[in-house]
Amino acid sequence: MFDGLIMFGHSIASFATPTTILYALVATLVGLVIGALPGLTATMGVALMTTMTLTLQPNDAILILICTYVGAIYGGSRSAILLNIPGTPASAASCLDGYALARQGLAGRAMGIATTGSVLGTWIGMFFLATLTPVLGEVALKFGAYEFFWLAVFGVVISGNLTGNDPLKGWIAGFLGLFIATIGQEGLYAHDRFTFGYHDLSGGIALLPALVGAFGFAEVLTVMRDKPRDVILNSFDAVIPRIRDVLQYWRTIIRSGVIGTGIGIIPGVGEDVAAWSSYAAARRASKEKEKFGKGSVEGLMAAETGDNACVPGSVIPVLTLAVPGSAPAAVLLAAMLIHGVQPGPLIMVNSPQFVFDVVAMMLIASVAILIYGLTLTRLLVKILQVPQTLVMPVIFVLCVVGSFALASRVFDIYVMLFFGIAGFLLRRLNYPMAPLVLGIVLGDLLDKNLRRGLVLSDGDLTPFFTRPISVVLFLLIAGTVLLNIPVFHRAAVSLWAYVSAPFRRTKRPDQPTSRRPHD
Amino acid sequence: MDDRKPSAFADLVSGSCWVALAAAIMIGSWRMDRLEHLQASIYSAPGIVPGLIGVALALMGLVLMLRAWWAGALAGAGRPRFAWSEHARLLTAVALCLAFAIGLVGRGPPFWLAAAIFIAVTVFAFQFPERRAARTLLRGALIAVVYGLVSGYAVHYVFQELFLVRLP
Repeated sequence: MFDGLIMFGHSIASFATPTTILYALVATLVGLVIGALPGLTATMGVALMTTMTLTLQPNDAILILICTYVGAIYGGSRSAILLNIPGTPASAASCLDGYALARQGLAGRAMGIATTGSVLGTWIGMFFLATLTPVLGEVALKFGAYEFFWLAVFGVVISGNLTGNDPLKGWIAGFLGLFIATIGQEGLYAHDRFTFGYHDLSGGIALLPALVGAFGFAEVLTVMRDKPRDVILNSFDAVIPRIRDVLQYWRTIIRSGVIGTGIGIIPGVGEDVAAWSSYAAARRASKEKEKFGKGSVEGLMAAETGDNACVPGSVIPVLTLAVPGSAPAAVLLAAMLIHGVQPGPLIMVNSPQFVFDVVAMMLIASVAILIYGLTLTRLLVKILQVPQTLVMPVIFVLCVVGSFALASRVFDIYVMLFFGIAGFLLRRLNYPMAPLVLGIVLGDLLDKNLRRGLVLSDGDLTPFFTRPISVVLFLLIAGTVLLNIPVFHRAAVSLWAYVSAPFRRTKRPDQPTSRRPHD
Repeated sequence: MDDRKPSAFADLVSGSCWVALAAAIMIGSWRMDRLEHLQASIYSAPGIVPGLIGVALALMGLVLMLRAWWAGALAGAGRPRFAWSEHARLLTAVALCLAFAIGLVGRGPPFWLAAAIFIAVTVFAFQFPERRAARTLLRGALIAVVYGLVSGYAVHYVFQELFLVRLP
């Protein structure tokens, strides 16, 4: 406990230099602008910033990326409140009550609530990042080939199930990602797979150009396809957060923070699901349900706390298992590998200081969004009025630079183009991108560990289903898949109703129904 | 994400594409070298994992096709009607982006100039209808060129000079 605090103190002290603070402030501002501009996502922002930070020291580079990530997730709330357009998918839930408050002339208060929720959400996530990472690191040390295989499958299945609105298409996208990861030299014998004699394919499909394509170029095409809409901005009042909002909704804040962090830990799910889940939980527990969607302070607070708590949460599996909790966290994982940081089960053994460096980075990012939240509203309003016709061509140029700069290969630009066009078409057909990205990240883990496991057991499948962690992961996967099949779903609902019947509170016949007005 | 639900026919087509891709993956995996000459275990053969992924993709593609069929895909519901005029903006964007990334980058002009040309042409092309209606074509062209040059040089300066990143 105290060791952790001391290491955290060291991390804070090491970041207290003018250059580092400048990096953090600039990166958060860039993230905020990216997040605020509809069509530009946190994933794209972090991917493009990775290119810029290639020559920096690892800690500076990761700090910049984390500040961009936190800034972008927070920035999405600005356009959600002022324009009713979520700047990032994570802010979609904030549109409901944020824009409703803005329509009532309370845009400033809504932005203050978003700032409060985002900062507190990041702090709650940060607390769990500091406390859960060592624990999860211990558990991860027990993982062998069988467990890592199931973890990869679990990531793809759960991500496919929770992102988007069609689990079957999510799983197809995930397995497509797993296949893409098998292209190139495989990890055990360096044998070329699906390269067709093309040398550039031997190195495999690099994650960053694929991500820049799927999240950058595809977004550029999506925005350019539609005629630009007139920007109608709401006027805004004072943006200073109110202490009363925090004190009044402290339960909602803590609940949303915990939900957001928990969803962040689940591989590949991400901030949008965290925001919606926190929002739904707040609505269920609220005494003012009828206000939700009509300008509820509690609803906006829940959504903003949930999505920002998800950011530190999604970094927990990155550090302990080298499995990203969200699409931007996948870029963060790639950036860590580029900079020679080795996340995974051994991180608490080999470089525990780095874990607390990341916690300190989250704190710095949250302070930066607090500063910008209080000061930069007018500038952001101006930025939101810049026509997208001017922004998108520059973004595409950055996509080209971003995909080329990593390995100085023109081939990577072609990879970006391919994934951009394919990503655009897949989105139009309702295939989510997050499972695809997670599949590309987890493909190597799945490939090596399935074959290692089979070699170790000489082809016997029993260890895949009998080791404690393996069987838990397998049951979770099987349960997730089966619950999406209507007949199993109905059977599970009936079974649950039967099992839980004795524990449910029975209503007395003389009890008036008006005593449960909020159900 | 686009929330519009695609038609059953689109799902049938995409499902059949996945089945075809999965079949190609399975055939490729089956025909892949099993490295027996290296005394490698059959369980570590490079084709095992892609083969299994191919099987899973084929199954899911078939389920998607069946679901689309039940939803009336073959009855003609939701067949797309492609009109070039509806997709003019998208096709223009794709053409300009491909022309820049494949035709301009690394083909002679320095990156800042290539980027400036692309940005200027794209901005002008996408503002053309409004500019023409407002009779400000010349002004629009001038703004596009200046904006392109400033943006192209800014990208060059920030990446190459400030962050020492190699540009194409």
